[in-house]
Amino acid sequence: MLKVENLEIAYGDLQVVWGASFEVPENSIVAILGPNGAGKTTTLRALMGLLPILSGSASFKGDSIAGVATYALVERGLVMIPEERSTFASLTVEDNLELGAYTRRARPYLEETLREVLGIFPRLAERLGQLAGTLSGGERQMLAIGKALMARPDLLILDEPSMGLAPIIVENTFNVIRDIRERGLSVLMVEQHVEMTLEVVDHAYILELGHIVAEGTSIELATDRRVREAYLSL
Amino acid sequence: MWLSILGVAVALGVVTDDQRIMTIAIQTYILAALASSWNILGGFAGQISLGHAAFFGLGALVTREMWLGGQPFPLSTLAAMVVTAVVAAIVGVPMLRFRDAYFSIGTLALGVAVFLTIGNVRPGISSLPVDALREYEFTGPYFLALGVMAFTVPVSMWLKQGKLGLGMMAVRDDEEVAGASGVSPLRHKLMAFVISAALAALAGSVFAYFSISYYPSFPFSVVWTFEAILVVFIGGIGTTVGPLIGSAFFIVGRYALASNTEEFQVVLFGLLFIIVVLLLPGGLVEGWQRIFGGSASDVVTRAMETKTGETKGKELV
Amino acid sequence: MTQLILQSAVSGLLVGGMYGLVALGLALAFGVLKVLNVAHGELLMLGGYATFFAFNSWGVDPFVAMPFVFILLFLFGVGLYQLLFRFVTRFDVETRIKNSLLISFGLVLVLQALAVRLFTADERTISTSYSSEAFTIGLIRVPIVRLAGLVVAVIAALILEWLLTRTRFGNAIRATAEDWTRAALTGIDERRIYMIAFAISAGLAALAGTLITLGYSVSPSIGLGWTLKALIVVVLAGLGSMRGIVVAGMFLGLTEGLASVWIGGEYREVVALIVFLIVLSFRPQGFFGRAYA
Repeated sequence: MLKVENLEIAYGDLQVVWGASFEVPENSIVAILGPNGAGKTTTLRALMGLLPILSGSASFKGDSIAGVATYALVERGLVMIPEERSTFASLTVEDNLELGAYTRRARPYLEETLREVLGIFPRLAERLGQLAGTLSGGERQMLAIGKALMARPDLLILDEPSMGLAPIIVENTFNVIRDIRERGLSVLMVEQHVEMTLEVVDHAYILELGHIVAEGTSIELATDRRVREAYLSL
Repeated sequence: MWLSILGVAVALGVVTDDQRIMTIAIQTYILAALASSWNILGGFAGQISLGHAAFFGLGALVTREMWLGGQPFPLSTLAAMVVTAVVAAIVGVPMLRFRDAYFSIGTLALGVAVFLTIGNVRPGISSLPVDALREYEFTGPYFLALGVMAFTVPVSMWLKQGKLGLGMMAVRDDEEVAGASGVSPLRHKLMAFVISAALAALAGSVFAYFSISYYPSFPFSVVWTFEAILVVFIGGIGTTVGPLIGSAFFIVGRYALASNTEEFQVVLFGLLFIIVVLLLPGGLVEGWQRIFGGSASDVVTRAMETKTGETKGKELV
Repeated sequence: MTQLILQSAVSGLLVGGMYGLVALGLALAFGVLKVLNVAHGELLMLGGYATFFAFNSWGVDPFVAMPFVFILLFLFGVGLYQLLFRFVTRFDVETRIKNSLLISFGLVLVLQALAVRLFTADERTISTSYSSEAFTIGLIRVPIVRLAGLVVAVIAALILEWLLTRTRFGNAIRATAEDWTRAALTGIDERRIYMIAFAISAGLAALAGTLITLGYSVSPSIGLGWTLKALIVVVLAGLGSMRGIVVAGMFLGLTEGLASVWIGGEYREVVALIVFLIVLSFRPQGFFGRAYA
């Protein structure tokens, strides 16, 4: 579904990603793992058109996404939830969710999708009239994911979904991600918590200082000695 | 190099009789002086004032009223500068508490408010009395304007290299850090504000001396602020020579467009201003630096050294 | 004396409505794009001239011309955005404000000079059958045209507020105002939102221009004075509420009017300036508002 080859990204004058290649097959969960500052978020932002791509190719559902405007990518079914969550604090939960279906792709199915999303996150249904800025961290996470789902994405990108959240909420989130894949979507995750992530994903890449240094299925990586020593608590 | 330009200007004043040339030259000098004064506040201290004309106008107003009221001109000028400095000090204290854009908006508000009020309070035109008109000649204003402009350069230089100027620039670059290092932001900003206002008043008083008749609100008009800022931006904000280079460019430009109407010139310079802001916040001097390398004072130093035969081992190009 | 005070108060409230209307556009542009357009008054002036010529050349009544003048300046606003302000929006907020302030400052001069060239510097007025009519309540004179100005201001504020809070498009605008990156990630074309918001702000300026030309007069230099009032009102009201802006405008007008009883109308600008400085010093977020979004 998403195919990236030899991506080179610069942040201002500084190059931060070199020759990155990865792929998210249909209906799978893929993760890009790595420590802070590895370039994971930068890569995602470049994919979504928020940063320029120096060279290399990236295609979504067969069509190139280089230079495409961010909102147009959402229109095609590529949706990202950034690290700081993408909810609008000054709007109500309901307005946030409705805005999620802003694209022409999603708008006709607004009612139907809303019912689905509220089914996944019943807590949001209780808080529809509340301003999103008053939600707790976990609730905002739910809203962010729910809002992203409202856009009826084919591929959902999550930037560090576990960041700043209590373990039980993280577990819940990861369950939701599994559920999302069951519904036919593909997921690309970027994470720092290798152990937890490997339990959820099918395939993962490890990004260090702008280079992909390892890849494999979760079992392959979990049994790889270097990976275990560097990232797992073993 | 600087002295030779000055020499040329002095010679021009002695040699030429052409009223038009004299007028344009005097206007250039007044503008250059005004621009230099703005540069002290905007370039050195980093406070972008959009209401600078208020002080120019105030200087002109006090000078004109006192002078035409019978006081000797030098006294009127001095009084104008003092009054303006005092007003600037009073107004500056609340104004300078605002940062960045809010300061600019505040000064804009000040400028517009004063302009409109003077227009209300002094609607009648101010003209030189008949006998003065009969005796009017350009030499006096010419050398006065030249002198004032020449005066602002060493003042700027002295400021820039001195402790006060360094303090101002420290505040400009990072107010918090400056404050933490013991450089009082408010005090330095206020000094810049008052000095720049006093020098603007000086330029204004030259205007009052030179102009035959005008509406008292005219020197308060935002056009003066605009031209001063434009000229500083073109020449290079924060440098000593910038305002002068910019004024020269501006005046040459006006000469070149002399056949077109005044409005067309304003439109053109307005567009130029916008482009300069968008593309080159450092002005011509930065452009020079980008192409040839080195700082502005380097440029002048090198130019002077080349003239006297010394070299530094660096080529200019 | 009481009659003088009451009359000044009423006149102040009425002109305050106009202040509010002018401020609406400025607040919209600033609130959404974080762009400070001090040439707002010049857009007002152009709208005024459009109204004047519509009346003078074709006999179109100003109130009938209003929607057309709105559209005209709306389109002009689109042009201005695409040619100029669009480039400012790629910077961060602080740089945006600074740059847009300087750029629009240049624009002020350009538009004023253009207007002098095209229309001459003469003051123009419109005299319709009703333009000098007034209601008289007791001894208080309420000119119809000025009252209409206040009414239009209130209606515009209500419509704008409805648009922003009760429509999907309005939600998209508020979302973009809060965070344009997040809006883009939500599938909102943030550049289009910016353009439309700016254009609406220009259209609002045009409405004000129509009423001002009708109620007072128009000349190339009227822009800055009204922009100044609008700035003060925006600072007074904060950016949170459109209705709050009209109220703040009326407050400013009232203050000016009452003050002029004692210090004379010629100093009303100074009064406004002092109000401005006081509010900015003590309550930078204004009476009403938390920052917009």
